[in-house]
Amino acid sequence: MTDQVELELLSEEPGNRDDDFIPMWKQRWRIFANNKLAVISVGYLILLTLACFVVPLFYKTNQTNQATALSAAWNQAPTWHHWLGTDSSGFDELGRIFYGGKYSLTLGIFAGLITIFVGTMYGMVSGLAGGVIDNVMMRILDAVLSIPILILLITLLTLYQRSTLFLIIVIGVTGWFGNARIVRGDALLIRKLEYTQAAESMGASRWHVIRRHVFPNSISNIVTVATFSVADAILALSLLGFLGLGIQTPQTDWGTMLQDGASVISNGYWWEVYPLALIFIAVIVAINYVGDALRDAFEVRLLER
Amino acid sequence: MFNYILRRLIQSFFVLLIVMLITFTLPYFQPHGILTPAYGVLGTHANARTIAEWGAQNGMNHPYVVRFWNYLDQVFIHFNLGHSYKQNLSVWNIISLYVPRTIWLALSSLVLTAIIGVPLGMFQAFRRNTVFDYGATGTAFVLYGVPSFLLCLLLLQLFTFSLHWLPASPPTGVAPWAIFTDPVGFILPVLALTLLSLAGLSRFMRGTVLDVLVQDYVRTAKAKGCSNVRMLFRHTFRNALGPIITIMGLYIPLLISGAVIIEDVFNYEGLGIQTLNAASLGDVPTVLGITLLTAILTLLGNLAADVMLGVVNPRIRVEGK
Repeated sequence: MTDQVELELLSEEPGNRDDDFIPMWKQRWRIFANNKLAVISVGYLILLTLACFVVPLFYKTNQTNQATALSAAWNQAPTWHHWLGTDSSGFDELGRIFYGGKYSLTLGIFAGLITIFVGTMYGMVSGLAGGVIDNVMMRILDAVLSIPILILLITLLTLYQRSTLFLIIVIGVTGWFGNARIVRGDALLIRKLEYTQAAESMGASRWHVIRRHVFPNSISNIVTVATFSVADAILALSLLGFLGLGIQTPQTDWGTMLQDGASVISNGYWWEVYPLALIFIAVIVAINYVGDALRDAFEVRLLER
Repeated sequence: MFNYILRRLIQSFFVLLIVMLITFTLPYFQPHGILTPAYGVLGTHANARTIAEWGAQNGMNHPYVVRFWNYLDQVFIHFNLGHSYKQNLSVWNIISLYVPRTIWLALSSLVLTAIIGVPLGMFQAFRRNTVFDYGATGTAFVLYGVPSFLLCLLLLQLFTFSLHWLPASPPTGVAPWAIFTDPVGFILPVLALTLLSLAGLSRFMRGTVLDVLVQDYVRTAKAKGCSNVRMLFRHTFRNALGPIITIMGLYIPLLISGAVIIEDVFNYEGLGIQTLNAASLGDVPTVLGITLLTAILTLLGNLAADVMLGVVNPRIRVEGK
């Protein structure tokens, strides 16, 4: 801990010891890299994402062909040919995990990006506009926060369509409310700080203040919240998969697979649930660890504790 | 205080209007329009003429603005939540039948969450970076990472199918308060809902208490030789209570969403199952009624939380006067 405090102190007086100067991002990277769990998590996420996209290219088992699956053995225990057995439709479980992961991860990332983009914009505008606009925007936020989102998601997916694109949009559009609150809080706080007021008193335009002061100083929270958003989006998709509203067959996602497996678990077909459950939970936990570590890396105050 | 509550009530009313606008608008523009409810009611009698007649009789042919106005009029002037075309019941009938069971489920798990989560988070913050803290944080992370349906199924697998300790679902067709008279069947649903919200609350509590523990007044108390217990409960707990009360007020929609999944898995006859059925059948009036009810409960919860905040925090009380 102490060497990190020194690093922080050094950065405040870069002129004194030019040769020891360490740029801010490097210090942050060091704090992040010190957190072993977070580094392991990043490694796991990268490896898994790569696996989900690369493995289906050369691990040639039947993953989507329903006609072939019909003649394959269903609910087959793991064998040398099917490392994790087959599922209740005759698909190879291991190949299906990677195949479904491709959808779950892609959807989670894109929906997470939408939530963070919309949430940041909304929060920034609300926090910086102030007055009546802020008040109205916050009441709208109160309103959407009091709607049970899952119910809204199910209704919209039932009434409109169940395409992958619509899933991304709907999960993204219903997930940004918390983010907007956090970003607005930041914007309000930073707008009141001395350096922002100094810039304003020197005649800086509002856009300049946003670009040079508010945004760079709230980016830490935005990045942190973005990681959590991806985890939340993946979880939301899995819930929809459980309800049969996820990616439709013959494509699949992890939630749908977990539900399929869970419905036959009482027959003792453990390979259809537990391996995927472990992978899935580990993904969410890893994303949350990365988010926590990012927050620590950005949070200078934490160094004093 | 009275003025404050009145102002907040008026504000909540406008928030409620926004909720109604959003929940009314989103399903309104569905591609099939009135065909979905019309086919549900008319069944095999549906043809172009009968559908047009039925639409005219039920005010479905008006433009969007008029229909939204009629909806507001129906809810606020006639206190009528509408009619479910799918079930041919008034929405209020459906809701009032099932709401007590879900309320008991949600309330008991909310109370359990608070009783377990608050001390747990405090103790974690107090003994931070110890084995206990890491263990509890890790468990909370895993609980947070498990999708709710999977947690329910794992609990079922463990307690019902492997150990044979608990029944898989609560008794049906019993009074709403059976949760107290015959609790065995309710243990698993309540446990599942509690575990799901416990992860978030204990982590939040830990963070809040950590923030308070570094404050000067806590250090002063410690320097004056204050005992740990007194420091935790007199100085820290009271100051950490504010954020906790606020977040508990926001738990209501989460509990309702959680109840949807949990009631489905455990076959708990409550509002959640009704909501799920209504939502997956496209029964829009029922969905609107249930979301409206949840929104009202949430807004009242937030208001109660803010009033309680004034009660526990003298600083806010003075500002309010």
